[in-house]
Amino acid sequence: MSETYTFTFMKEVSSLLHAADGNPFPMCVQCGTCSGTCPVAAYMDYTPRQIIAMVNAGLKEQVMESNTFWYCASCYHCTVRCPQNISITELMYALQRYSIWKNKHQEGLIGPAFAEAFAKTIVRTGRTFEPILAPSYIFSFKLREFFNEIQNATELMLKGRLPLLPPRIKRLENFKRMVRRIIPMGGVE
Amino acid sequence: MEKIGVYVCHCGTNIAGMVDVQEVAEWAASRLKVRGVVIGREYKFMCSSLGQELIEKDIKELGLTRVVVAACSPHLHENTFRTACKRAGLNPYLCELVSIREQVSWVHTDKDVATAKAMAVVSGGVERVIHQVPLEPMKVSIHPDTLVVGGGIAGIQAALEIADAGYKVYLVEREPSIGGHMAQFDKTFPTLDCAACILTPKMVQAGTHPNIELLTWSEVEKVDGYVGNFTATIRKRARYVKTDLCTGCGICWEKCPKKVVDDVFEAGMGTRKAVYTPFAQAVPRYPVIDRPNCTYFLKGTCKACEKFCPTAAIDFTQEDELITVEVGNIILAIGYDTFDAHRIAQYGYGRLPNVITSIEFERLCNASGPTNGEILLKDGKTKPKAVGIVHCVGSRDKNYNEYCSAICCMQGLKFAHLVHERTGAEVYNFYIDMRTAFKGYEEFYQRVLEEGTHFIRGKVAEVNNAARNKDEEGKLIVQVEDTLVGVQMRIPLDMVILSVALEPRHDAKETAKRFGLSCSADGWFIEKHPKLDPVATMTEGIYIAGCVQGPKDIPATVVQGAAAAARALGKIHAKEIALEPFRASVTEAQCSGCRICNDLCPFNAILFHEDKMVSEINAALCQGCGTCVAACPAGAISGTGFSNEQVLAQIEGLLLLNVDKNAVPV
Amino acid sequence: MKEYAYFPGCSLEKLAVSYHTSTLETSKKLGVKLKELDDWNCCGSTAYFHIDELLAYTLTARNLAIAEKTGLDVVAPCSACFKNMFFTAVHMKKDPDLAEHINFALEEDDLNFSGNIRIRHVLEMFAQDIGAEEIKSKVTHPLEGIKVAPYYGCQILRPRKDHEETENPHYFEELLSAIGANPIEYSLKTRCCGGSLIISSRIAALSMVRNLLECAINQGADVIATACPMCQVNLECYQQSVNQEFGTQLSIPILYFTQLLGLALGVPKKKLGIGKELVSASPVLAAL
Repeated sequence: MSETYTFTFMKEVSSLLHAADGNPFPMCVQCGTCSGTCPVAAYMDYTPRQIIAMVNAGLKEQVMESNTFWYCASCYHCTVRCPQNISITELMYALQRYSIWKNKHQEGLIGPAFAEAFAKTIVRTGRTFEPILAPSYIFSFKLREFFNEIQNATELMLKGRLPLLPPRIKRLENFKRMVRRIIPMGGVE
Repeated sequence: MEKIGVYVCHCGTNIAGMVDVQEVAEWAASRLKVRGVVIGREYKFMCSSLGQELIEKDIKELGLTRVVVAACSPHLHENTFRTACKRAGLNPYLCELVSIREQVSWVHTDKDVATAKAMAVVSGGVERVIHQVPLEPMKVSIHPDTLVVGGGIAGIQAALEIADAGYKVYLVEREPSIGGHMAQFDKTFPTLDCAACILTPKMVQAGTHPNIELLTWSEVEKVDGYVGNFTATIRKRARYVKTDLCTGCGICWEKCPKKVVDDVFEAGMGTRKAVYTPFAQAVPRYPVIDRPNCTYFLKGTCKACEKFCPTAAIDFTQEDELITVEVGNIILAIGYDTFDAHRIAQYGYGRLPNVITSIEFERLCNASGPTNGEILLKDGKTKPKAVGIVHCVGSRDKNYNEYCSAICCMQGLKFAHLVHERTGAEVYNFYIDMRTAFKGYEEFYQRVLEEGTHFIRGKVAEVNNAARNKDEEGKLIVQVEDTLVGVQMRIPLDMVILSVALEPRHDAKETAKRFGLSCSADGWFIEKHPKLDPVATMTEGIYIAGCVQGPKDIPATVVQGAAAAARALGKIHAKEIALEPFRASVTEAQCSGCRICNDLCPFNAILFHEDKMVSEINAALCQGCGTCVAACPAGAISGTGFSNEQVLAQIEGLLLLNVDKNAVPV
Repeated sequence: MKEYAYFPGCSLEKLAVSYHTSTLETSKKLGVKLKELDDWNCCGSTAYFHIDELLAYTLTARNLAIAEKTGLDVVAPCSACFKNMFFTAVHMKKDPDLAEHINFALEEDDLNFSGNIRIRHVLEMFAQDIGAEEIKSKVTHPLEGIKVAPYYGCQILRPRKDHEETENPHYFEELLSAIGANPIEYSLKTRCCGGSLIISSRIAALSMVRNLLECAINQGADVIATACPMCQVNLECYQQSVNQEFGTQLSIPILYFTQLLGLALGVPKKKLGIGKELVSASPVLAAL
């Protein structure tokens, strides 16, 4: 079944870029520099360039179903090379935020759960604590990686490199009130 | 009191749709009667012959002394109405065209407001025209000689056309030989003609033409004057060779012991001697001594060339010569430079071996080049088995140059063909679009497709040597997304050719300033009108041709060279031209000699008299831009056609200060 | 004496403690004072930008405001922390509405950021602010030509775009030469290590780590020097996983550049955290 173009998705995603630089996505000439540069492209189901084309065409379902933006490493290599000055990395961030907001993403991805756990820890204590993040991903690993991760953690602990006590900042109450001035009710808590 | 006719145009519905033209005409006839308006008419299309006839009739029958037409922008029809007045016997400069279309009808949405504004605009026109005085266009004679700057194919073409028509040309070229970039190429697209074979006959013609004075190894240092009467000072640099004795036999460069990397003609791929001609078919055939690299000039020894020259033509005492020439027209055809590929560090140019630019590849292919026309890797021995040609290097890229360089797609195809022909290697062209627009170009693309070139649609992300497996070891790896299948690819190659962007000459901006011309932000010279006048410039008498105006292929360059020549010949044939009389002039008594205006003039039209301590404006160079009028702190400069009285009067008119408020429309 | 406000970042407390101690020791040796920010919070790294952009900027702005209170320029050892601080400052300067909103939130902690301080990465501080010349003059134990791969990583350079330096910078190599090491031509020196993908997309990150390790080893490196805790952890702690996944046998020590710098300046190994690596650097450093 053939589809037609809608431009609402593209506008929705653009408005998620609160303070990003760069030209608007329709400026993309589909040259492929971003995908040619991306160190993770081989593992993405759609390349960054394809995602931009799909966003511009309004193919929202396909975009949200892809793993591309959750596999972005934020290395910004695409952004500095893009001949049209489009901030592709910022687009990936925007799609991640859209994905969390709408709770819509490919099944089996670790990224969303990890990001949420990370954010919750910060909001609660002002700091991160690696061990507390482990449950958000370690149970998605296959057996061999699961044991590798446990082994790593053990070795790091023996070298004194694993944090054992969750840190928290001193002025935590002020910090929480500060957070609430940005995310009024609900939010990540 | 003057007798003024006011004519308000409907312009179909363009004006009449928003402005009540009838009301405006009646208003002018009644309210401005005290100012001298004797008739106010409105008509559907004033610019039509019938419309013009209305004006002509009124001039003759009513004895009008001034005319105001309220219609479209003066850019379009000022000339039309002025000519109509002239036909009827009224000095054309006593006609004023005020815009009530672009400046009223097209920018307003409220009819009442628009109509009232139109009335004000007409009133302004009336007040101004009262202060206009009859003017005569200035006649300037045209010197029949022409100066062509730049001896590439554009300059050569222009020079030959003018010379063949029987007029003298000075052809100035900064390199020791004419020929330009085209002489460096091996073959030209799409015909695959050998570049030298089609160029050298023209070069020889130019070199032997009785009407062409060839000034190579020379540069224009200063230009004064105005259309028809330019004076150019040219520095003929010392060749250290007496051209009346030299036969071009070549013994001097054969015997010269000093080898130098030739980074001009050979693009750094080969060498030449300290005494040299740039290539075998050089015109003129006289060599030059590269002083900074000559052993005699550096250490006082050697002089091998002098010893062996059979005609005693070497002269180490020669000096630069400054000559002055008088010409009527100048054609600038200084060509282009190529983008410095070092700037794109991720392509590895200058760091990884066998990453070369297009111009370097041309030299490899050229039979008289450093490898005698064999396509070889840097080791000088191995033929590549896989070659990649990267399009859009430094072009179409907001990080470097936004524009498209016009020739690289065709050049990329040409290279693909040559690589196939001479090495049998696998060839990959990495492109974003294939721009093959002109005659024979798409067909050439088809041909190269048939030859088995692999076309990968994707802009190359990087070229590196980080091998990931045995096949990649020792190779240049091109990383690119094949966008047509959506997969990131790594392609191991032996040689990578970068189709680099064409850029203006590195000293283009200084050159432009020297000739009083402007460059765009990119550095290309600005033409008078990009569509309708691409070889003329804002300075009368100076023309541009070839890549100096923007990247283009050889056919377009030749056409522009011929077009510029035709314009020059037109002026020469007319023997004199009439210039618009709108000129600024300095009231000597009021000039304090502060000289603020001197450097502000974009056309170098103001001179300063040291003896009288006053500035004077050269009426022929002045384009009436008004900059000096505004800048003069003493108000000593006024413009004919836009004098202070005229402008102030127009403002008073716009403010309706002189309108008869009691007059009732008839 | 030059002074900076110092923002260690969460990972320097434990995971990358050697980076922390070696940074402090080497700056002390060079006469630079690093004053740790009072009650700093997590910068949000990349993960917070996946959740909410405005709050992500606010988290970093709090640290910037704390630094601004001291009146000193702020320096960060972790590339992600550095990049977040640098660009939060840039965006707040460009967008006054954003700045207003963020400062409104910061009021709750009596803080405000007006954008009057510079933000530097620790590598930039040593290589550019202090400079290779100055460092060379203080070297007492030059590193006898050990071959070091200068691994910049990604966010220390990007998304800043002043082109020639972005794709092929040289200041890390200059620093390494100044301390007597032999910086190799490292083709992948600005390629990403995968960062948090090691968690969320392990196989992709492992392949990136593999390429980085293989290239460094093939190009003759004895050790890879990093300037970011994420890079160090990814390149070091997952060498075994890489070998298992791809059937390779890669092994190379990964040290922080400050540790190498410390050795050259005569700081004792223990104080630089040498010995805390999972892939021992002893064989390489034994020669010194």
